[in-house]
Amino acid sequence: MTNPEFEQALTRAQLAQRGLNRRRFLSFAGLGAGSIALAACGGPSTASSSSSTSTAGPAAAGAGAPAGSSGAGSSAGSSAGSAGDAAEFAGVKPASTITFWSNHPGDSADVENEIIKAFNASGAGVTVKLVTAGSNYEEIATKFQAAQQAKKGLPDLLVLSDVWWFRYRMSQSILPLNNVLAAAELDTAAYREGLIKDYQYGGEQWAVPFARSTPLFYYNKEHWKKAGLEDRAPKTWQEFAEWAVKLQAAGTGAQNAFQLPALADYAGWTFQNNLWGEGGGWSKEGTFDITCADKESVQALQFLQDAVYKGKWSGVSSKSATDDLSAGAVSATLGSTGSLVGVQKAAKFDLGVGFLPGGSVSQSPVCPTGGSGLGITASVPKENQLAAAMFIKFATNPENTVKFAQATGYLPVRTDADISGLVKANPLAKTAIDQLAVTRVQDNARVFIPGADQEMAKACAAILTQQASVQQSMDGLKAKLEQMYASDVEPNL
Amino acid sequence: MSVTVADAESAGPGSSRTRSARRAADPPPRQKPAGRRRTAELLSARSRRDFPIFLLLVLPNVLLIAAFTYRPLLTNIYYSTLNWTLGSPTASKVGLGNYREFFTDPESLQVLWTTAIFTVATVGGAMILGLGLATVLNRPLRGRTFARATIFAPFVLSGVGIGLVWVFIFDPVTGLLGAIIRGFGGTSPQWFNDPKLALTMVIIVYIWKNTGYCAVIYLAAMQAVPADLVEAAAIDGAGRVRTFFSVVLPLLSPTTFFLLLTSILNSLQAFDLIRIMTPLGNGTTTLMYDAYLQAFGGYNRAGYSAAVATILFGILLVMTVVQLTLLERKVHYS
Repeated sequence: MTNPEFEQALTRAQLAQRGLNRRRFLSFAGLGAGSIALAACGGPSTASSSSSTSTAGPAAAGAGAPAGSSGAGSSAGSSAGSAGDAAEFAGVKPASTITFWSNHPGDSADVENEIIKAFNASGAGVTVKLVTAGSNYEEIATKFQAAQQAKKGLPDLLVLSDVWWFRYRMSQSILPLNNVLAAAELDTAAYREGLIKDYQYGGEQWAVPFARSTPLFYYNKEHWKKAGLEDRAPKTWQEFAEWAVKLQAAGTGAQNAFQLPALADYAGWTFQNNLWGEGGGWSKEGTFDITCADKESVQALQFLQDAVYKGKWSGVSSKSATDDLSAGAVSATLGSTGSLVGVQKAAKFDLGVGFLPGGSVSQSPVCPTGGSGLGITASVPKENQLAAAMFIKFATNPENTVKFAQATGYLPVRTDADISGLVKANPLAKTAIDQLAVTRVQDNARVFIPGADQEMAKACAAILTQQASVQQSMDGLKAKLEQMYASDVEPNL
Repeated sequence: MSVTVADAESAGPGSSRTRSARRAADPPPRQKPAGRRRTAELLSARSRRDFPIFLLLVLPNVLLIAAFTYRPLLTNIYYSTLNWTLGSPTASKVGLGNYREFFTDPESLQVLWTTAIFTVATVGGAMILGLGLATVLNRPLRGRTFARATIFAPFVLSGVGIGLVWVFIFDPVTGLLGAIIRGFGGTSPQWFNDPKLALTMVIIVYIWKNTGYCAVIYLAAMQAVPADLVEAAAIDGAGRVRTFFSVVLPLLSPTTFFLLLTSILNSLQAFDLIRIMTPLGNGTTTLMYDAYLQAFGGYNRAGYSAAVATILFGILLVMTVVQLTLLERKVHYS
């Protein structure tokens, strides 16, 4: 029989017979929804678990290491970015609105807004919305990872620090930029070679330099004068050790002649200067061979420990060494060039800056690059990616990179930028820019092993605040870094 | 008609006759009064009828709890079996590998030790100080209301704000405490760089923040202590100290039990002050903070972090069950 009324009546009768009335049906429906919710565990795919550990790596150069190189750094840097293919974005219309996540490095919120305002009014047809996504690189990274996991609320472009971009590349969270930069007609050749190559891996560009910096030697000229020192930064740390005695004896009122930067944020980065000066390093240049326990590296860190405990001319900053300097509490310190304008504003004394001192083995290049670049999220629509690339091109054009540098102290990232106005307005900025010529690419162990920076900071804290044995601390660090490389990096290369 | 046992046995199994026979053979149940029996029947019928409505009413809450408590819990346990970089679309299964790593890593012992010290110190410190303050505030003093508000205020303030203020106070170079110590010719301790001092510093601030909470709860309980018992103790010649320890404190045991339970759970999950005051966790890495550092603090090891979080969950569960089953027996409920 095909009478629908009869079938409906039959169904109702069957349901009634089974005791499934409306209330019970709703109850079961609710329970079913709950079960589905419980079962719907989102997360990573493990179907290709083996492939996740055997992903065919990009055509990496050298020893399988990301091959950045800088001006003076030699490195295995043969994996320069190749020309992109704009055809991938042919016919793509840029999105009308994009979101930009920044932590405003170097108190740059105002100048970022200024640049964005100019871009929005430029007739590009794209409006950029600036979002404060943290107060430092770690916080912005935390937020980005959480958004990646939630798969919503993602930015279209964001600030990527030197130690974070490669992790995003490993987790496929950021877009390889060659094609989209070609579509936006951004010429990477116009950027400073060392800075642009820092973000290259496997023939791809992964970010564009934005708020780039190096460490800088900051000193209090008044204290220098009282101690009868030449008005310059020391050429070597050995020279400064002699100067420190004079500074301590000069009655400057400072608590320490020198302040080592806060270990949590700066140990892994700035101590490369000391390590390289003595012929050591966290890892061998351009490779993942961990060398922190070699005698040269141990000697470099022993020098720092002696400065704190034997010579007693150096302290270790708890929070911000440049704040300690600005307050007149110490005579000299190391800090990012990105802090330059802030220190100049806060200091009530005549401030001097200079190149980083060398060591007994090498005097140059002993200065690492640092800071951050701009990257594009991999999982946003092509329209948004193209609009983001257009903004990157605008934000880092010759005029805006100088404007950004003038407001913060970060370095102009392009060779075609006219820095004469910047240098005239702030002569100290010239020292920072000149130092770019003697920078060296950072050690792979620091920038490419997730968590290495934290482990380096912990090991240095043991050496410099608990007087732990340098050799034992470095042996422990080496074992840890090798284990982390094997488990977290090597499988993803 | 009467039915004998023999009749019942001769009947087939499952027959209605058998069932009635068994009912007849059973000893007669204790008879309820007719009124009560009727009420029970009514209630039972009503319960059956209302059960779907009951389900419908509780379902939203059950679903919410399932979606936002049990689902993340189960998901977290699942994640703890993966080698997974947070944000990565792929991961590999490692079974119990993350747990093995935790229980064989010497640093884990340090994390557990730090967690134990932090929990014992903060719970003990806040409860003892809270009890002392409540005892003082329970007496008719001038400005008592103002003092109560002042003592309670830190508890309701943001942990992040409090952390930032105390960072300024403790900073050895530019901080307030360092300036005072230097004023007396001393040198400020390295609160942030020395791991032991860093833990001490965070414990001090955590106790300062939570003492007010314990004090207010104890104060409310003290005001409920019957005055006649205290008077009786006084008449019997007990002094203030004896009265406090032999009369008041036992009567406060339900409150002490409640505070112990909630404070331990809170201390084991403390995060904001540790994050703000010691971001690297140098000396202050508790289980909770280790879970954060492993996933978000630079290591990106979401699977291992999930394993740490699951271990913390297990510890919390065991401690709660132990407290509810063992300690509660010592509690005097009036």
